[in-house]
Amino acid sequence: MNLPTQLQIGGKLLNANLKQAWRDKTNWITAGMFAVTALLLYSFAFNLTTGLVRNLLPGVIWTVFLFSGIFATGQSFQHDRQNGILDALKISPIHPMTIYIAKTLANILMLLLIEFALLLGATILFSEPLFTPQLLLIVTIGTIGYTALSTLLSAINLDQNNGGLLLPVLALPLLVPLLIASVEATSASLQQEAGTAPWILLLSLFTIWSTAIATLMFPLAD
Amino acid sequence: MSEIGFLFAGFAVFWAGMFTYLVILQVKIRNLQSQIDLLENIIENHDEV
Amino acid sequence: MNLNNIYELRWKVLPPLAGVAMIGMAALALVTAPTEVIEGDVQRLLYVHLPSALASYFAFSVTAVCSILFLLKRDFKWDSAAQGAAVVGLIFTLLTLITGSLWGKPIWGVYWQWDPRITTTLILFLIFSAYLIARKSSSLDSDKSARFCSIYAIIGFLDIPLIHMSVRWWRTLHPQPIIAKLNPALPDEMLLVTLFSVLAVILVAAWFITLGVETELLSQRLLKLRAIAKTNISEKS
Repeated sequence: MNLPTQLQIGGKLLNANLKQAWRDKTNWITAGMFAVTALLLYSFAFNLTTGLVRNLLPGVIWTVFLFSGIFATGQSFQHDRQNGILDALKISPIHPMTIYIAKTLANILMLLLIEFALLLGATILFSEPLFTPQLLLIVTIGTIGYTALSTLLSAINLDQNNGGLLLPVLALPLLVPLLIASVEATSASLQQEAGTAPWILLLSLFTIWSTAIATLMFPLAD
Repeated sequence: MSEIGFLFAGFAVFWAGMFTYLVILQVKIRNLQSQIDLLENIIENHDEV
Repeated sequence: MNLNNIYELRWKVLPPLAGVAMIGMAALALVTAPTEVIEGDVQRLLYVHLPSALASYFAFSVTAVCSILFLLKRDFKWDSAAQGAAVVGLIFTLLTLITGSLWGKPIWGVYWQWDPRITTTLILFLIFSAYLIARKSSSLDSDKSARFCSIYAIIGFLDIPLIHMSVRWWRTLHPQPIIAKLNPALPDEMLLVTLFSVLAVILVAAWFITLGVETELLSQRLLKLRAIAKTNISEKS
């Protein structure tokens, strides 16, 4: 199958994945609720109501994103696996990379929805300018980065006995560079400092690396 | 703890770690080998029968 | 002499060589090496701390290479080898962290500093612990599990330079009041002792890896034999 055909099928798969995500919206709404609850918990734990919010907010936001995002993407292939769709896709002439990219893109779009909504809410809660173009860019790049890896890791359902905890244990240590770069970039952006660019560069580097390696490795996972 | 104490502790942990792991591995290998020998005997006897 | 013949010699060559080297290393490190002027005798922990770190990188490199070989050849002996090497890597990583803490306390006054190298070592420990947990949570002969964990080991190994870089940038942004170098420029005698120690510990690591691989291979064989025995018993009945 040539590239234009793969792209066309990829588009159809993405559409199908998004439709499935809409049908399966409980999972995504739960992830969103988890994110909101976690944010509230951090607000109480670190006393974020005071004016010292700016220092802690980037770290709080990104840990919330990572935890809720990883838990949400853990279910990525569940529906496909249970209904034999994954097996059908495997024996079809569709390239595994196309399957992976379609799934990851769907996850990214859903997670960005949740994250942008959370940022809007956090803007109101903490009276901080969290809904700026630069920050949205940082969040988008970071989300692509961690979703690429966590979608790959969720592709194989090994987690029968661990109550869903294996995926974060596997994914989070790998995501340390992304977390550091995202938090520092967000922090610099909030403080309106000049130091944003190098961190956005490191973040982009990690995102490109994680996306490339996850895309290349996915066919081997089958 | 004095400086020498930390030095002693460091070397002790290192050497103890090495020896402990070596012993564990040797015991494991011996156990596995004896289980394998037992099963091979059982299978051989079954094949003869 | 091909690679297989060399590998067969491992039980004859590695144990005595490693043993002698380690005894030599202990004598050199504790007696022969000169006392460091600033840090005193506790600096001798360098001769176990640095070799442990290098041995762990060596072991995890073996894991990564064996994982690649497994994905290419789909032979389970490479998966066994990867697991065996990973356990050895974790042991040496743990020893690196502990000896580092014991060295750090008298020098820095604290057991832990967010030094980039030691922080990266901690994350390395977490990554390969996760690898082993994931692999051991499935059956030894599970092809899916072996594939997935091989992929994870490769990604984890490749991620290490990025982790080190990002932690170093992070630390330069948030410097600590005292940053003491663990190994400033070494005089010749110390360098020689360090190199000998590294060689000795890597020999030990190589020996442990062959033992670890042997353990995993035997476990695989035992699993196969159990399956055969089960089939025979059910045939009988």
